[in-house]
Amino acid sequence: MKRWLAAYAVAFYAFLHLPLLTLALFSFNSSRFTRWEGLSLTWYAAIFRDPQILEGAWNSIVIALWATALATVLGTLCAYGLWKRNSRTLTGALYLSLVTPEIVTGVSLLALFQFAFRWLHWQLGLYTVVIAHVAFSLAYVVIVVSARLRTVSPALEEAAMDLGATPLQAFWYVTLPALAPGILAAALLALTVSFDDYVITSMVAGVDSETLPMVIYAMARRGASPVINAISALITVVFGALILISERVRKT
Amino acid sequence: MKLRTSFLLPAWLWLALLFLAPFAIVLAYSFLTRVYVGVAPPWTAESYQRLFDPLYLVILARSFAIALAATALCLVFAFPAALFISRAARFKTLYLQLVMLPFWTSFLVRTYAWIFLLRDTGLVNTVLQALGLIHAPLPLLYNDGAVLLGLVYGYLPFMVLPIYATLERLDPSLVEAAADLGARPLATLFRVVVPLARPGIVAGSILVFIPCLGAYLTPDLLGGGRTVLVGNLVQNQFTTARDWPFGAAVSIALMLIVTLLLIAFLRRESEPLA
Amino acid sequence: MNRRYFILGAAGLTACVRDPRPRLNVYNWSSYIAPETVPAFERECGVRVRYATYESNEEMLAKVVTGNSGWDIVFPTHNRLAPMRANGLIAPLQHGLLPNLNHLDPRFRAPSWDPALSNGVPYMWNGTGIVYNRSLSPPPARWADLWSPALKGRLTMLDDPEDMLGACLKKLSLGFSATAPADLRRAEREAIAQKPLLRAYINAEVRDQLVAGDVLAAQLWSTTAQQAIDSAPQLAFVYPAEGFPFYCDCAVILRESRRVELAHRFLDYLLRPAVSAQIVTATRTATANAAAVALLPDAVRRTETLYPPPEVFARGEWPQTLDPATQRLRDRIWTEIKSA
Repeated sequence: MKRWLAAYAVAFYAFLHLPLLTLALFSFNSSRFTRWEGLSLTWYAAIFRDPQILEGAWNSIVIALWATALATVLGTLCAYGLWKRNSRTLTGALYLSLVTPEIVTGVSLLALFQFAFRWLHWQLGLYTVVIAHVAFSLAYVVIVVSARLRTVSPALEEAAMDLGATPLQAFWYVTLPALAPGILAAALLALTVSFDDYVITSMVAGVDSETLPMVIYAMARRGASPVINAISALITVVFGALILISERVRKT
Repeated sequence: MKLRTSFLLPAWLWLALLFLAPFAIVLAYSFLTRVYVGVAPPWTAESYQRLFDPLYLVILARSFAIALAATALCLVFAFPAALFISRAARFKTLYLQLVMLPFWTSFLVRTYAWIFLLRDTGLVNTVLQALGLIHAPLPLLYNDGAVLLGLVYGYLPFMVLPIYATLERLDPSLVEAAADLGARPLATLFRVVVPLARPGIVAGSILVFIPCLGAYLTPDLLGGGRTVLVGNLVQNQFTTARDWPFGAAVSIALMLIVTLLLIAFLRRESEPLA
Repeated sequence: MNRRYFILGAAGLTACVRDPRPRLNVYNWSSYIAPETVPAFERECGVRVRYATYESNEEMLAKVVTGNSGWDIVFPTHNRLAPMRANGLIAPLQHGLLPNLNHLDPRFRAPSWDPALSNGVPYMWNGTGIVYNRSLSPPPARWADLWSPALKGRLTMLDDPEDMLGACLKKLSLGFSATAPADLRRAEREAIAQKPLLRAYINAEVRDQLVAGDVLAAQLWSTTAQQAIDSAPQLAFVYPAEGFPFYCDCAVILRESRRVELAHRFLDYLLRPAVSAQIVTATRTATANAAAVALLPDAVRRTETLYPPPEVFARGEWPQTLDPATQRLRDRIWTEIKSA
């Protein structure tokens, strides 16, 4: 049985990774088509020459970092509050937000911003994208952190409070450190969904907020380009490295 | 108590401003009348009447069938993988991260990778032809099979992770006990492990089924736009058709169905999203 | 680690906010400008141009419809101008600020959709036709040829109700902007009859499959078709004999713009023959600027895909704005075709 499982696992991981590996392989192809013609770094050089890609990448990073930071803090607080005493309304709304079709979330947020802007003379921009990303990634953070909280015994906090800690101190010194791996995992997930999102972002983006997925989408719609292969290979490598680093951080 | 209230304050704000308010706007849209772009009074329930047109009911049924098939396939593929990870002696985290890794590239790129593999002059056909297994390229792309493949590929980790989480917490002594009592490995698997992993299976199924139900990019790109699923219908109303009220009504109906399904599940399972 | 992220993020945000130069916000179709166009204007006028792109008229309209989007200039297709004007979104053009307007091709100086050119400056235009592999014999010349069983599985049509239904209407010798339900139903039956032959309803993505030889014939926009032909000489393009649509994207100043004068300067800059020629060289589109066409190399000017000769041009039709009832019927028909 064990051997069967291992064999299956090989096939499973091949299925998950081979499509992207071949894509990455062809990012080194000198031809722009699916014929292999020779090794070349042309497409990688093209990334760094294209101001639109670079600006999109920069916007994506800024947006993802802000959205991740905000969603992680708010989501952790929320998960902790719900752990203390559940609120059916809030939990239900969080799950519902997770299952709303993206296009509906996008349109409704756009409508919300436009509604609010009638009185506030603001405009769509980077910060509306950040707000939208916080709106949809909050539920992911709450779920991941909640899962981790289930492994934490409430008795620990009670013990701390018996020894004279205030509730805030008990949270800060006892529960939060125990939650750290969960929070890190949640932050990574939030970062991923924020960095990946196209549908909602394209609805609420305004001046100054074209993101990398929007640039990729525009390129893909114009037809296949090895530059897309190169970008996706780079993103995978960067996020792979990020995971390795986060693993290190978690262990120390 | 006070601390809890202040901790939940941002979440309540989120609920009011970023969940209920946009939802209320969509709800209002669904009862308004279309204009060139956007909505205007008078108020009407006409969009909801249109929903009961057989054309749209068939689309809804087809979306259900495809989402259901994708969920079932995900379950079949994900369970052994989750079992493998939970029983691995070493590198557990690595295996888990490897499941997640493809999902850090954009969804579009992942779909695009399959186009790259499946098209006539794509890798799969080229290799099969080079091996002499086929003589003319197989039409792999632009059919329901390709859509299903794309959905399974896209949402597989959402099935693996929750199942892994329940398997991980499973008491190994239960499996040993079953073995001690003479159960063969497969019997143990189906009689002991699978029932105990039920919360994870339910959670995973919800996490896969629901986004599949609303998917629109996959059917568009891998299905070649030859079929309409409910996600495409919504998308199309908000874009090309510019019929926001009807798009909003379809969205509300979709969310209602999803909510009812969720409630039905939550009633039956005590702790589904563990 | 998180603190560093915050600082990075904050630095990024302030970097975006701090720039004393006046700003002009331009929202255009993707790949519709040359890389040098915007930087040269910024240097010349000492302003900053925020340039972003969209993929469909509707994506742009959804943003500008409330009149508070932040954009100064957008580029809607010609048949969106009238409803935009009716919704109070467009600032009238001041011809006094646009001396280069006289470079426009005479065909675009008083177009049917905007006779006084008060709404938008015609920018680029293109048509929809058939791109095909030269190995096909006989080569397709009419929309009706796309119903040939020989093309089964190697044929694609555009994933766009206007163009797709338009081709069916033209096959039936009906008008592209037909409104009579009976006519539209006939077109629907044509589309459903064709569907088993189709590989897919797709847009620009078909380009690579044409180049690779997977697809032998496709309904496609002339610009995209020309890009495919550039990379694969075995491809050719034809404007179908029954008639076909032309689309013209027009530069429009939004009424919400607070920099109307600067916006006019940008439009006038785009109208300069050299600038316009540079853009079409980079993007392979057809410009509405006659003086710019004169600057193009002979080979480009004679590309019939982009600049069809007068007798072909005469067969083209400029789609009109559809009334809501027709629009709704067409959308329903489109959904029915896709579900068939």
